[in-house]
Amino acid sequence: MNSANSTSQDQFSSDSLTDVSKNELPPKVAALSPTEWLKANLFSNTFNSILTVISTAAILLIIRGLLSFIFNPLRQWSATATNMRLLMTQAYPEHQYARIWVSLGFLLFLTGISLAFWRAGRSVQLSQVGKRLLALGAFILLATLLAPFSNKATIIWLIIGIFIVGIGFLLKPSHEDKTVSSLTLLSGAFLLAILSLWVIPYGHHSYLSTRTPKILAEPGTVAMTTKLPWTIMFVVAMCSYFLGSFIREKIDETRSKAVLSATWLISPLFLLFLVLRDPDFDTGHLLSTDIPIFLFFSIVGSVLLLWLTRPDIGEKGRVISAAILFVGFATFLFQMLMIVRILTLVLAFFALAAPTFSGQKPARIRYTKVWIASMVILCWLITAINTPSTAKVPGDFFIGGFAITLMIFFFTMVLAFPLGVLLALARTSKFPIFRIISTTFIEFIRGVPLITILIFFSVMVPLFLPDGMDLTEIAAVTIAFIIFEAAYLAENVRGGLQSVTRGQHEAAEAVGMTNAQKTFFIVLPQALRVAIPPMVGQIIATFKETGLLAIIGIFDFLYIARSVIPGQTQYMGSTRENLLFVSLVYLVICFAMSKASQRVEKRVGLGER
Amino acid sequence: MTDNETKSSVRGDRDLANAQDIIVCEGVSKWFGDFQALNNVSATIKEQEVVVVLGPSGSGKSTWIRCINRLEQHQEGRIMVDGVELSNDLRNIEKVRSEVGMVFQMFNLFPHLTVRDNISLAPIWVRKKPRAEAEEQASSLLERVGIPEQADKFPGQLSGGQQQRVAIARALAMEPKIMLFDEPTSALDPEMIKEVLDVMKELALSGMTMMVVTHEMGFAKEVADKIMFMEGGQIVETGTPEHFFTNPTEERTKLFLSQIL
Ligand SMILES: Nc1ncnc2c1ncn2[C@@H]1O[C@H](COP(=O)(O)OP(=O)(O)OP(=O)(O)O)[C@@H](O)[C@H]1O
Ligand SMILES: [Mg+2]
Repeated sequence: MNSANSTSQDQFSSDSLTDVSKNELPPKVAALSPTEWLKANLFSNTFNSILTVISTAAILLIIRGLLSFIFNPLRQWSATATNMRLLMTQAYPEHQYARIWVSLGFLLFLTGISLAFWRAGRSVQLSQVGKRLLALGAFILLATLLAPFSNKATIIWLIIGIFIVGIGFLLKPSHEDKTVSSLTLLSGAFLLAILSLWVIPYGHHSYLSTRTPKILAEPGTVAMTTKLPWTIMFVVAMCSYFLGSFIREKIDETRSKAVLSATWLISPLFLLFLVLRDPDFDTGHLLSTDIPIFLFFSIVGSVLLLWLTRPDIGEKGRVISAAILFVGFATFLFQMLMIVRILTLVLAFFALAAPTFSGQKPARIRYTKVWIASMVILCWLITAINTPSTAKVPGDFFIGGFAITLMIFFFTMVLAFPLGVLLALARTSKFPIFRIISTTFIEFIRGVPLITILIFFSVMVPLFLPDGMDLTEIAAVTIAFIIFEAAYLAENVRGGLQSVTRGQHEAAEAVGMTNAQKTFFIVLPQALRVAIPPMVGQIIATFKETGLLAIIGIFDFLYIARSVIPGQTQYMGSTRENLLFVSLVYLVICFAMSKASQRVEKRVGLGER
Repeated sequence: MTDNETKSSVRGDRDLANAQDIIVCEGVSKWFGDFQALNNVSATIKEQEVVVVLGPSGSGKSTWIRCINRLEQHQEGRIMVDGVELSNDLRNIEKVRSEVGMVFQMFNLFPHLTVRDNISLAPIWVRKKPRAEAEEQASSLLERVGIPEQADKFPGQLSGGQQQRVAIARALAMEPKIMLFDEPTSALDPEMIKEVLDVMKELALSGMTMMVVTHEMGFAKEVADKIMFMEGGQIVETGTPEHFFTNPTEERTKLFLSQIL
């Protein structure tokens, strides 16, 4: 090869290189200077200029109005601050308050570990952070000038604004490569918030379960019983995150993710009914009734299921499962412990599903293990709910406020989801009777406003119940939420089911799968993936709808803010402050959920299709 | 060894004359609403036989082949598969389906499962095999269809030819006695057709009973023991490839061949 040839080749390759870089990088748009940007975007012609001026004026007026509302000396913000505990947990007994912190701490511990395992957070460019801070600082400065502040307050806010603008200026020119994790930013923000508890006089805190409030802190400080636990909570969350990132490399990740997800589902039940409700177990009753029932069902059920999951069981198995189902329904005709009825029905369900999961020994043993685990959880849960609580609380439920909002939301989601899937399957089933029942149910529920269903359940249903069965109002209302949401989720899932092509059904049938196996292994996984985005929307809507609890007189977050606190002698008529606070909390949580859901959608959509 | 020699030698091994009948159709008819898609179809397929079904579009080839594992239900006549008559009895259907493998035109792999899970799912839950054994079998089947390295990918990450080979492996994992193919190469780019046909040839040589709907005349000439020509829901002509391609008796067959060759 001669040299001329090689040089020409070099030229050729360098040419093609520049070509490639030209093709792949989008042409750089020259950054507009601020005045150019204004001209291009806001004042491009007369009409746009007028619109810009008018809307700016409107925005400024609204901000000014809001600020003069918030910072009006007449506002009783101390009503919200002082009653923070009431808002969050209603009158949970003070000497047992540590239970709340333990529960919260456990959830934060789970959060920390999960964030680490799912590698949450993305990297944000420092220059972007700088821009955001600049905007925030500028907004604070503007707001300070607009707000009717006292001189001292104006100076303090101006200093804060300038400080933030300063940091923004420092960060803005940083290089594109310099990034920071969004988790770091978030925990930084939390750290600042918690530090501020130690420094800033938010108001003096008292505990208002009785008529004479007990002062917990000197005026102008935050009570130690608030700031210390929160600081510990922060440390717990941080430590568990680092613990999570430390152990995630060392253990089987898929498996531990499955364990984590299961813990997320089960732990709220434990926290609510074991830690928070603190049931006063009666050893005698436990030994004479509860434990024998548990042992009976676990042992008899295991033996039965081990037999029913044999591959060669055939028709006999179906007959026996149907018989158990029949017995399960028959128990409602006789005087009997509720737990026996429920467990019999659950056993019938497991027996009916047995042929789907039958197989060799390991598969059968696995199925039996699932049965025993369900028994442990169900027996323990039902027993705990039936045991009187040691947490003596006015009203007929052991907790209220934001906690009950979250609790009802949790139960709704966890139970409405499987019910919705069942309804959707029934609605698309071959059997007309299932289709008719499910369609009628769904259309009926969707045709009635939620508030009607809630009132119906809280007022009427307890009257209809047979003797010997009673339902607390909270349980009745939760059931109302569950059936309402299930009807809507069913429609979302049905959309997903319809998106599964006929070819998928045929392929599953052609390899000899039964209908149940086809549904469980092939159709549902694909349908649910499609249904995730609409379902998340539905979940967010549900969370907001929990506000309706206030209307039927349950001591939820909104009810305490709207009716309880404004009734206290010191805080007569502080409704507006509290409502503003409640809206802010709802806003933040819904916003966070929708952001999180967008990322989940992205992740689920990737790769596999 | 040329393909022809292979075929004749294998043919020599197979004693088709004395083989058992494995699929028997007697007067099978089927209507979609008022439209008759199958009209009195009668045919017998013997064990280890390779039958290619030809015919113009809309002639009822797919309908017939899908009746044999009851993805469609026939309304008149009888279909016996390996001694079991197809009726509304669910147990018969499941029994027949686990003995008849089917490969579709559009592959129909399960998009949410890896290739390995696609293949081992049915053996585990339908045949009740231990998972380890099923996965081992999946690996050896992937080896057999020539893509052992793709086991952990998802179907969406494979080429069409690879997907169809996975689909064949998935059907084979049930250890079927009969394989049905409904235009297995029609959705493939030309360069991928050969890799799928090669797998099918290998399968035919190994003694699998096969019923193949295809437009690949080369495959039909080379591999088929018998060719059935359908039109208007009827079997118009049946014969060996030599007879069929060189010396067809029916006018309609001649017309079809003149259009296609
Ligand atoms: N589900 C259905 N409903 C109504 N008519 C149908 C249905 N499936 C098939 N047909 C009709 O039955 C006839 C036979 O269809 P079939 O799919 O068996 O033809 P084919 O021979 O496989 O044709 P191709 O080579 O195009 O696949 C066609 O006229 C078709 O329109
Ligand atoms: Mg066809």
